[in-house]
Amino acid sequence: MILAVSLVVAIVFGSGAFLVLQRDLLRVVVGIVLISNAATLFVIAAGHTRGAVPILTIPGEAGSQASDPLVQAMAITALVISSSVAALLLSLIYRIYTSHKTVDIAEISEAEAREAEALERGEDLEEEEEMEKRPR
Amino acid sequence: MTGPALLVLSTGLPWALAAALALFDGRRPWVGWLAAAGLGASFVSLVVLLFRVLYGEPAEVVAGGWPSGVGIVLRADVLGTVFAVVSVGVVLVSFVYEVLGGVRSRTFPALVLFMAAGLSGLFLTGDIFNFYVFFEVSMTAAYVLVGYREQDYQVRAAFIFAVVNLVGSVVFLIAVAALYHVTGTLEMQAVAERVSQVNPNSIIVIAAAIFAAFALKLGLFPFHFWLPAVYVGSHAPVAAILSGALANIGNYGLLRFGGGILPEELELGATAVLILGSASIIYGALQAISRKQLTEVLAYSAIGQVGYVLVAVGIGGPVGFSAAAIYAVVNSLNKTLLFLVVRLRGRLVGAAFAVGAFSLAGVPPAVGFVAKTAVFKAALAGGVVQAAVLVALIFVGGALSFVYMFQAYQRDFLSQEPQGGYWEKAGPLTGRVLVASLAALVLVAGLWPEPLLVLGEAAAAALAGNSGGGH
Repeated sequence: MILAVSLVVAIVFGSGAFLVLQRDLLRVVVGIVLISNAATLFVIAAGHTRGAVPILTIPGEAGSQASDPLVQAMAITALVISSSVAALLLSLIYRIYTSHKTVDIAEISEAEAREAEALERGEDLEEEEEMEKRPR
Repeated sequence: MTGPALLVLSTGLPWALAAALALFDGRRPWVGWLAAAGLGASFVSLVVLLFRVLYGEPAEVVAGGWPSGVGIVLRADVLGTVFAVVSVGVVLVSFVYEVLGGVRSRTFPALVLFMAAGLSGLFLTGDIFNFYVFFEVSMTAAYVLVGYREQDYQVRAAFIFAVVNLVGSVVFLIAVAALYHVTGTLEMQAVAERVSQVNPNSIIVIAAAIFAAFALKLGLFPFHFWLPAVYVGSHAPVAAILSGALANIGNYGLLRFGGGILPEELELGATAVLILGSASIIYGALQAISRKQLTEVLAYSAIGQVGYVLVAVGIGGPVGFSAAAIYAVVNSLNKTLLFLVVRLRGRLVGAAFAVGAFSLAGVPPAVGFVAKTAVFKAALAGGVVQAAVLVALIFVGGALSFVYMFQAYQRDFLSQEPQGGYWEKAGPLTGRVLVASLAALVLVAGLWPEPLLVLGEAAAAALAGNSGGGH
């Protein structure tokens, strides 16, 4: 069982790490989600006991038969955090898409390089872009 | 008010206020000032708490009225409270600066409040999983804040920041679960007690994971690749919050987990920690010298400066830990001052920048001197060879930071001729006064360093008490 769980965690984490290194930003987010889920699995696996569902009543002497409730509380907290952060990442990607019309990292970094050149020339980006947006 | 009430108030007040203010338009001045008042109240309660903790017992609350050992523990000792005071103070100053200049986004005040709540919560918690939760609260607020002002490059910086730090958070979560599996508890003191009975060789992997997670937050040398893009991209007050308040998570984490919970593992890895710290100092300083733009110089300087904290942590013992705490506090003051100055000009601001530069380089009247002396003293505590190498390193690092700071000063503040629109470019007077008073604080703390030294020693003592196995 320990071997099976560690294999699953390793495979899920590995595929997540692979996806994070891809060029497509959406795949990066999927990779982050996979990595977080690997961590959640690991948290569950770190529990000390395995057995019945630890809800409300633990029948008399059989307390040790219930599964460890603490890791489950930790897992659900981690799940809530990772799902909301995934939503945040997706909204960031959408914002990047609306301004660059692409989610490919190579094309985005071209735009970045152009801005870096502007930086080299000593122009202040923030001020400049605000000036452009202001109606004249 | 009692200690526990202050403890709950300092985290709970900004949290509740954040939830309420998220419903209103943050661009309106009254929302901004209400948020600033909430932050101020949190700051004051933390200062009062600091005095109580310093001259009395650490304050402790168990959430939900559970018996100790069952419920989640909130615990304020000197180390945590010092970091909480400094971080919430930095957030308050940076936020007031932005409100004075005019907030441009609906959500800004609420996000800053969430971040303050998360920060004070994580410095004051006594539970490792709760630490992770507060850490995520403040980090998530930070991801959004990096994109504040919504320029394209800022959104890109926010994405990089979020992805890299999420991987770090996951590594930390895994380490927390592993610590729970080894010790069967999440309460920091109990974890420290039980870990000390286990062979350090079997915990070293967990310790390495925790170290990697905090090094990533701090932007230490091999983990620094994300930092320049983010610090250069974000708006000045946000950059001040990131480097002055958020980086303290890494500093505090290294001290609390390295010094307090896993001291034997830290000793085992001390050489690696010292080498990484030294590499960080040299790399950050050399990169900073080669940069032309002020924010870039400051970003690389941030990589170099955390190296000193790491070196002090690596030296260890009461001297090393107190030096690390003092250096972390002073560094967040310096970085806040310098990042807030970036978009201002004028004589007053030039003087403030010069004070910050002196402080960063560790020149006497400024408070940076106190910090550098503390690290010097710690370096001398080790063996002869180690002491010689470290002293040379600190001296070279200081000299290099002197060079890059005054290069930047010359480029951005000295050579500017007063011309048409000069005062317009100088920024709002209130902002300049705010920066100047921060510079005055840096000077005063340097001229009267006793409080800082007392706090540093008390923080290191609190850490020793923790690892020694409860009270």
